Amino acid sequence: MSNLAMQSQTNAGPGAPVASLAPPAPVIELENLQVQLGGRPILKGLTASLKGRCIGLLGPNGAGKTTLLHTLLGFYPASGGTARVLGHDIRSQMREVRALLGYMPESDAFIAGLSGVRFVRLMAELSGLPPSQAIERAHESLFYVGLGEARYRTVDSYSLGMKQLAKLAQALVHGPKVLFLDEPTNGLDPPARERMIRLIRDIRDAGDVRVILSSHLLRDVEECCEEVLVLKQGQIAVYCDLEAERRGNKKFLELEIRGEEEGVHASFAAEMEKLGCEVAEGARQRLKLVMPDGVEIRDLYRLAAERQVQIRRLDYKRDSLEDIFLKAMEGSGDGRL
Amino acid sequence: MAVYERNYARYSGPVTPERTRYLILPRYAYEAVFKSRLFVGFLALCFGPPFVGLLIIYLYHNASALQLLGLTPEKLAEMFPISNKFFYTGLWIQGALGFLLALFVGPSLVAPDLRNNGLPLYLSRPFTRTEYVLGKMSVLVILLSAITWVPGMLLILLQGYLEGAGWLARNWRLGFAVFVGSWVWILYLSLFALAVSAWMKWKPVARITMALLFFVLGGFGAALRGILGTPWGLLISTWSVIDAVWNSLFGLLPGDETPPVGPSWFVLAGGCAIFLWLLSRRIRAYEVVR
Amino acid sequence: MRAAAKEPVHTDRQVVFENVSKFYGEVLGINRVSLSIPPGITGLVGPNGSGKTTLMNLMVGLLQPTRGTVRVLGIPTDHPEELFRHVGYSTQYEGYPPGFTGYQFVESYLRVHGLPRAESEALAWKAIERVGLTEAAGRKVAGYSKGMRQRIKLAQAIAHQPSVLILDEPLNGLDPMARAEVISLFRELADGGLHVIVSSHILHEVDLISDQVVLLNGGYVVAEGAIEGVRDEMEEEHPAQVLIRCQKPSLLASRVFENDHVVEARIHEDGKSLLVRTRDADRFYLMLNQVILDNDLGVETVMPTDADVNAVYQYLIGGNGEKS
Repeated sequence: MSNLAMQSQTNAGPGAPVASLAPPAPVIELENLQVQLGGRPILKGLTASLKGRCIGLLGPNGAGKTTLLHTLLGFYPASGGTARVLGHDIRSQMREVRALLGYMPESDAFIAGLSGVRFVRLMAELSGLPPSQAIERAHESLFYVGLGEARYRTVDSYSLGMKQLAKLAQALVHGPKVLFLDEPTNGLDPPARERMIRLIRDIRDAGDVRVILSSHLLRDVEECCEEVLVLKQGQIAVYCDLEAERRGNKKFLELEIRGEEEGVHASFAAEMEKLGCEVAEGARQRLKLVMPDGVEIRDLYRLAAERQVQIRRLDYKRDSLEDIFLKAMEGSGDGRL
Repeated sequence: MAVYERNYARYSGPVTPERTRYLILPRYAYEAVFKSRLFVGFLALCFGPPFVGLLIIYLYHNASALQLLGLTPEKLAEMFPISNKFFYTGLWIQGALGFLLALFVGPSLVAPDLRNNGLPLYLSRPFTRTEYVLGKMSVLVILLSAITWVPGMLLILLQGYLEGAGWLARNWRLGFAVFVGSWVWILYLSLFALAVSAWMKWKPVARITMALLFFVLGGFGAALRGILGTPWGLLISTWSVIDAVWNSLFGLLPGDETPPVGPSWFVLAGGCAIFLWLLSRRIRAYEVVR
Repeated sequence: MRAAAKEPVHTDRQVVFENVSKFYGEVLGINRVSLSIPPGITGLVGPNGSGKTTLMNLMVGLLQPTRGTVRVLGIPTDHPEELFRHVGYSTQYEGYPPGFTGYQFVESYLRVHGLPRAESEALAWKAIERVGLTEAAGRKVAGYSKGMRQRIKLAQAIAHQPSVLILDEPLNGLDPMARAEVISLFRELADGGLHVIVSSHILHEVDLISDQVVLLNGGYVVAEGAIEGVRDEMEEEHPAQVLIRCQKPSLLASRVFENDHVVEARIHEDGKSLLVRTRDADRFYLMLNQVILDNDLGVETVMPTDADVNAVYQYLIGGNGEKS
């Protein structure tokens, strides 16, 4: 019960800690980065400077998100332009770049026949940890992600959720400064998803690590990230600061009402329009409205009291990211409602 | 809101030197492979022939032991002359055992990494494809060295020591032949096993493939030899090819059944190149599917 | 636990499970499940291994129940030929005949069910268009991205225009735009009278799109019906929680406590919100209108914190998850 209360969304934005300091240095700087695969241009000149602690990477399939991550990891060479990760150039200092990175791939990724511990130990040692430290940190990492006794079984025998956790453990074990997470909640059932999101927020807050989260689930990105980079067809469609967006949404409200009479939504909406608000109906019959100056929340309640209507939910518009994304796809790149 | 008492912390301790990191791979491979009693037994067996060689050398220099066995020095020299043929035979036997070893260990080298997309995890670290191949090769190279040139050289040194001054200087070619002959075989065999392991997912299939390639090609070689009437046909038989090379290294006269030496070296080198190419096709972070 | 239906729907227009159990030898699939699924979008929710796939396979007739009967729109599931005409199924597994193009994949499925060539072609293209893959239909499925594979599976499932669509995680791997498009396709189909039964782990999406939900855990149906109805029924053991952000939480607390249905009022840690638990949400909200008008509280937001599928899931199924 108290669990749920704490999960409730406060006005500071879901999951964001109360005070957020602007991080000093950019994590990733892209300078006209171009990448070709099989002769086809996939990334067509990306330029941006990503500064947040947790940055969301969004875009339709084929937009180049995974290619971007893979290029920063050095799996593909850049065909033009360059990029820097925490100041290190990917063209000339790839080894240093890889030493600071932790990567959690989207697809299944493990070594057959090894137990969880051996797997993570091996990964730790390959990142440079001495054997004694590697085994300690492997256990720490496995404990942190929540794999208990299962760590002694082979990874082949793990369920999907556990394999995801194992992937995360190997990404964290060497203490990277930058974490690339590609669809981390893929295939997880609801409690495991919640746990993964909580872990990601933990890592972001406590660990002095910068996180790049690539996902199709806008909700995940909204809960964890402060900035968002949206790619479309190999180019940047929009790069924006979610915090700033959320703060700017004060006058945009979402209402969920319940009443006895038929057509209560329509009539309530009509009354609000008479007051001067712009009203639109969203999913689940929720009403989205913009209140002009002079109209207060109090007025909404007066209406509700008169009509014996329950205002079951009154909240600031929370799907700013969805709007930003859809706008970006249409090509306007602005991102506001 | 975190339930976890221990928080994520960065690592700020010492790191291992980069140049020797590839050796992590053989260490992990040995942890696994030495658990098999069958393997340990087999490995022990591989030291059998060198041990016999050791005994023979010893007997040459220990008359009382000879007498115990009821042999005379002449009889011994007749049965086991310590010449280039002696060491050639030794290398031959160990080479064959080495093949069996590669059959045992090889298929599980690369396949488990590829089966579940493990390569990106290796390569997202400061670890290159070259280090990966080097590391995997080392698994076999170390084991094969342990049963070929290491005992071989030790035996030569022993013989040199027991024979006294000058023997080593006169017979340095033997040492050279053992060393180079072993390494040629080791490199070829390791790359062969790795390439098969990279392309065949299942161990039994890989083993059968390795054995088949070997024996089938050997059969074809013999057939070609018969059809064409020249030893050149034998160039496709790995065994004949390496045999030719060894023969030439030890200064032995090749029989009719061995292909010409120069082309044999070429075939071996070419084979290694092909295996490396096959490996480079499979060892990558991502396959481009189009 | 059945929520009151708005209007009774005849069983011939429902998917009905009558006391169905399914065992695989000793292993439990589902146990004593009785369900009546009306038309509209139904969300199927539960942890891995709770019986969702078993339930879906039973609905489609791929499995026969160990006990009990399953009837889809009045057709018993042991009549596969008749059933398949009315049911479309899209599983999680991906098995494609090698070398097939998207179009061939859909069209061949129709041909296998005995439709003549001309009709199969027409229906196949119609389905492909509906999922937005017209341009890619000529390419091999093996070269499709994950999202495209999901959509071609969907096309195959809807091609023969079934009345019941059963989809296992159909949005998996789809980018946000494709998700929105597929969701609106579901809405279209459901508004046309179809049963669209969707299993998913993304609870807030289930919340958004479903008319009713079925929650499974450990092979049992734990709850079913429209989510509001389900939540209302749970009020006794789990009083509704509402989080109200305002400038004077203490004043609000004293006012709400004047009502007997409020069992708890707690000031949230940030000092600016009040968390209220009440046994009667309806009366609470009506009362709240008046309280806000009578007092100058400076209300900013009002939010139920446990009225969605997520909360119901947590209450009824819990966060056992897969930690082992």
